[in-house]
Amino acid sequence: MTEFKLNGKIVRFEGNPLTRLIDVIREDLGLTGTKEGCGEGECGACSVLRNGKLTTSCIIPVGAVAGDEIVTIEGLRDTEQGKCLIDAFAEGGAVQCGFCIPGMVMAAQALLLENSDPDEEDVRMAISGNICRCTGYDLIVDSILLAAKKGKGLW
Amino acid sequence: MVERCFVPSSLREALEIRKEYGAHPLAGGSDLMVQYKAGLGITPDFPFPVMIITKLEELKGISRKEDGSIEIMALSTPSEIAACPFMPFHVKSAASRMGAIALRNSATIGGNIGNASPKGDLPQPLILLDALVVLTSADGERTVLLDDFIRGSKKTDLRDDEIITKIIIPPVEYTYAYYRKIGTRKANAISKLSLSALIKIDDGLVSDFRAASGAAGPKVIRSRESEEILKGHRIDEIEPLIPAFLESWNNAISPHAMPEYRRNTTKRMLEHFITEALAMPECEIID
Repeated sequence: MTEFKLNGKIVRFEGNPLTRLIDVIREDLGLTGTKEGCGEGECGACSVLRNGKLTTSCIIPVGAVAGDEIVTIEGLRDTEQGKCLIDAFAEGGAVQCGFCIPGMVMAAQALLLENSDPDEEDVRMAISGNICRCTGYDLIVDSILLAAKKGKGLW
Repeated sequence: MVERCFVPSSLREALEIRKEYGAHPLAGGSDLMVQYKAGLGITPDFPFPVMIITKLEELKGISRKEDGSIEIMALSTPSEIAACPFMPFHVKSAASRMGAIALRNSATIGGNIGNASPKGDLPQPLILLDALVVLTSADGERTVLLDDFIRGSKKTDLRDDEIITKIIIPPVEYTYAYYRKIGTRKANAISKLSLSALIKIDDGLVSDFRAASGAAGPKVIRSRESEEILKGHRIDEIEPLIPAFLESWNNAISPHAMPEYRRNTTKRMLEHFITEALAMPECEIID
């Protein structure tokens, strides 16, 4: 059995420890905010936080996160930090089709946890593993910078 | 076919499982989970027993020893290696350019070595620095030169009962250093070609010169024979030796795809590094 914390609650998973974390999150726990894009850790759509660090949940087996604290978009969205990020994404027009956005928000959160006052280069680096096929990234970058500015003191 | 999966809670337990079942260690998962992926929503299908060793505390940590050597435990991630204040330049540079952030947080140095891809980012600078790899089994451990341990593309000298537990980088001194990874993008790029090099100049004499070529053959190429051409000479004698050195290095590499491109670019990078170093600039890192 694998035990870990997901969005603050203990999860006990009885299945094969090689089950991909994303499948436990989406299929077993029904949290569908985390998206699967490439399934190879290249696109970042499945990004979650693992002990505060960005991780692609499609290439990590659940057995590898035993004892860890996982946060998905559902765990972030109702927090002050999450609300600030989501409002900034809306205000900045960062979202088109939206598929990459949960991963983008998690990448932004991972950045702000480490650096609450990032510059544009820091932001571009932070989302460098997250692919968006709609926006061309500029509005996403602007929105993350906006979140950092409006949310001063939150991180 | 569903093979067995083990989750050992100590290194000792892992070594026993390894010995009894030959289970393959899964460290970060970023190679194995992709290589054996079975599709959306499906658990990867491994043709061999696997043991998840991600959580083994005994295999974590980076430390500097009294003699100046650096010990990197096998489960250290590229993020940890890149952030380590005493990590040698070449290894730090390679670690900080691997994949993208999420990958750097989960991949491991032991996995990158064990996977033995000629395009792997970490073996190249480690081979430049004459790094050693420590292999542990239930019956003991042995330490081998990484350059000898990796035998070819995806081939290592790892026995069925062994686990890669530690990497040791001996102390290194250089006057100038060079690292270059060529990929199609700044992030998430697999190396098309890479090169590390260093030169040590003592009282006008080249006392050490090394280079390592990644993605230019079935394994990282370190031609000690070529290096000898430049070593032991005064820097004002080096220039006429460069063509012979470059030819010797060119003979040592064996790129299988786009060989003209890889050969030319390797040559240009080496020439650039040597020429810049001979000009004795102030800063020790040559771009």
